[in-house]
Amino acid sequence: MSAIEAGQGAVYDRGYRPYDGPRGRRGAATMALYKATMRRALGLRRSWRQKIAPFVLLGVVTIPAIVNVGIGYVTRDNVGDTFEIITYRDYVGVSSALLLFVALVCPDVMCPDRRHRVLPLMFARPLMGQDYVVAKLGAIASILFAFSFLPQVVLFVGNMFVSDSALDYFSGHLDILWKVPAAVVLLAVYYAIIGVAVSSMTDRRIVAGAAVVGVFLVTSISSGIIVGDNYQQQGGSLAALINVWVLPLYLRDLIFLGHIDPDSPLTGVDQGGLIAIATFIVVLCAAAGVLLRRYRWVER
Amino acid sequence: MGNVEPGPLIRLDGLTKRYPGVTALSDLSVDVPRGLIGLVGANGAGKTTTFRLLLGLAHPTEGRVEVCGIDVAKDPIGVRALLGYMPEHDCLPLDQTAADVVSTFGELSGLPARAARQRASDILDLVGLDEARFRPISGFSTGMRQRAKLAQALVGDPELVLLDEPTAGLDPLGREEMLALVARLGTFGISVLMATHLLDDVQQVCDHVVMIDAGRLVVSGTTDSLLERTGVVTVDVGPRGHELVARLTALGLTAATEDNLIEVRVEGDQHMDALRDAIADLQLPLYRLSTRLTSLDEVFLRRAASAS
Repeated sequence: MSAIEAGQGAVYDRGYRPYDGPRGRRGAATMALYKATMRRALGLRRSWRQKIAPFVLLGVVTIPAIVNVGIGYVTRDNVGDTFEIITYRDYVGVSSALLLFVALVCPDVMCPDRRHRVLPLMFARPLMGQDYVVAKLGAIASILFAFSFLPQVVLFVGNMFVSDSALDYFSGHLDILWKVPAAVVLLAVYYAIIGVAVSSMTDRRIVAGAAVVGVFLVTSISSGIIVGDNYQQQGGSLAALINVWVLPLYLRDLIFLGHIDPDSPLTGVDQGGLIAIATFIVVLCAAAGVLLRRYRWVER
Repeated sequence: MGNVEPGPLIRLDGLTKRYPGVTALSDLSVDVPRGLIGLVGANGAGKTTTFRLLLGLAHPTEGRVEVCGIDVAKDPIGVRALLGYMPEHDCLPLDQTAADVVSTFGELSGLPARAARQRASDILDLVGLDEARFRPISGFSTGMRQRAKLAQALVGDPELVLLDEPTAGLDPLGREEMLALVARLGTFGISVLMATHLLDDVQQVCDHVVMIDAGRLVVSGTTDSLLERTGVVTVDVGPRGHELVARLTALGLTAATEDNLIEVRVEGDQHMDALRDAIADLQLPLYRLSTRLTSLDEVFLRRAASAS
């Protein structure tokens, strides 16, 4: 292409070009909102400050796996000495780090839509209230799953390669391949739905963040006071289920152990496992009900 | 766009919307053709409620709403796929760039991601935000935010754009530019329903007007048909206008100077002949001679009063 000489340039009004390509409907709109929420939660296409929290958190939750594998590598020649600072089961419960993430990110993806009054624009698209809930919830749950699952992958692969025989380690831990994803899915969906439901109640991020932390802390402290410290000797109590923070960990224990952990505050409770499952489902349904009602835009 | 049935662009049939204690719309029936349409009414007349019903964001208490032949109650998603919506209030995420916001709304309208990004770029260029596309919305002026709002409404290539008070908060220059943009949409084959209480905006841009008051239809018709002759002729003959006024008064006509123009009440051809002869006798230059029409304000006030 030859260079345009001075004075020979031209400004073109490109006008308006209609779009005649493929066009999706509800599914496409829901997926678009899911992707937009993922980008926002991870700080993508945003300033570097917005990227700090999610990726520092990912680093923090991965540190135990790296340390565990590193020590395993250093001590790999010590015959009969298998070092394990964290188990796969324990790793599912890095819940304080996840709680922090939920309290930071859920308000950030929910509150501005209401505060900046973006919702009417969204619902003027081929999008229904339940699609909005599914997209937001799906995005947060996906990130929580990734942040909980990736460190487990690091731990598993690292342990496999520092073991005497990678193949033996793999074949000896086949159950981990389904137990970890199953437990992590439950945890991710649970924390996501609580975080999103609580955040949907206000348009102020700081209030939502405090409310998320408050729900977990208040129920945890209340449960602790009622159950007391001597549950291992005297037996646990159903009041342990008030603690919404650790509720999914009872289901984790059911997946990994097949029963309630004897060291948990629910130990000794008759049908404790079944009641824990029922409580888990009730909490999920209640949060989903709150969300669907909150975003039932039609006939407001 | 998809195949759209012929017929009116919008059909409201016995539309009533009641909220607890308030009737927002009452038995509103009107067919609206394609083109640039003004939805006119005072604040609280029911314009925004009409938009919500068109978008399927509220259910009518009674009656039906059709957009492009599609019943909104039966297929709200199908209708929304044909519409773009620009609300009156601020509605854009302030911490995102215009390009991100508009392309995201393109995807939400069902466009593939690559197409949405391309169209976002084109539309931001069209509305005059091409150089500001990578700036956060929070740094935009009111006029730029209005343009960004218009861009998000257009990015999905809508059949019909609903504009709620598009010139609200704009300075005179910004208002003129926004109205010019709205007028251009008609040349692109996009129909516009512009809700406003500023009748000058409608008179300037729209070729059809729907007037509502207190939730009831006042009048619907083409802008030209609503603008009636007033029986007053406006004449501009330059600085010697006072000579013409004196001559016409001497002839028994009613004439007065208004903003350096002469307004002459004419009743029949004889008066027009007398005006012509007076200008010729005085050898005045004739710069302008036009029949004054009623303004939409006058039409609205008169019709609303008679309707109530």
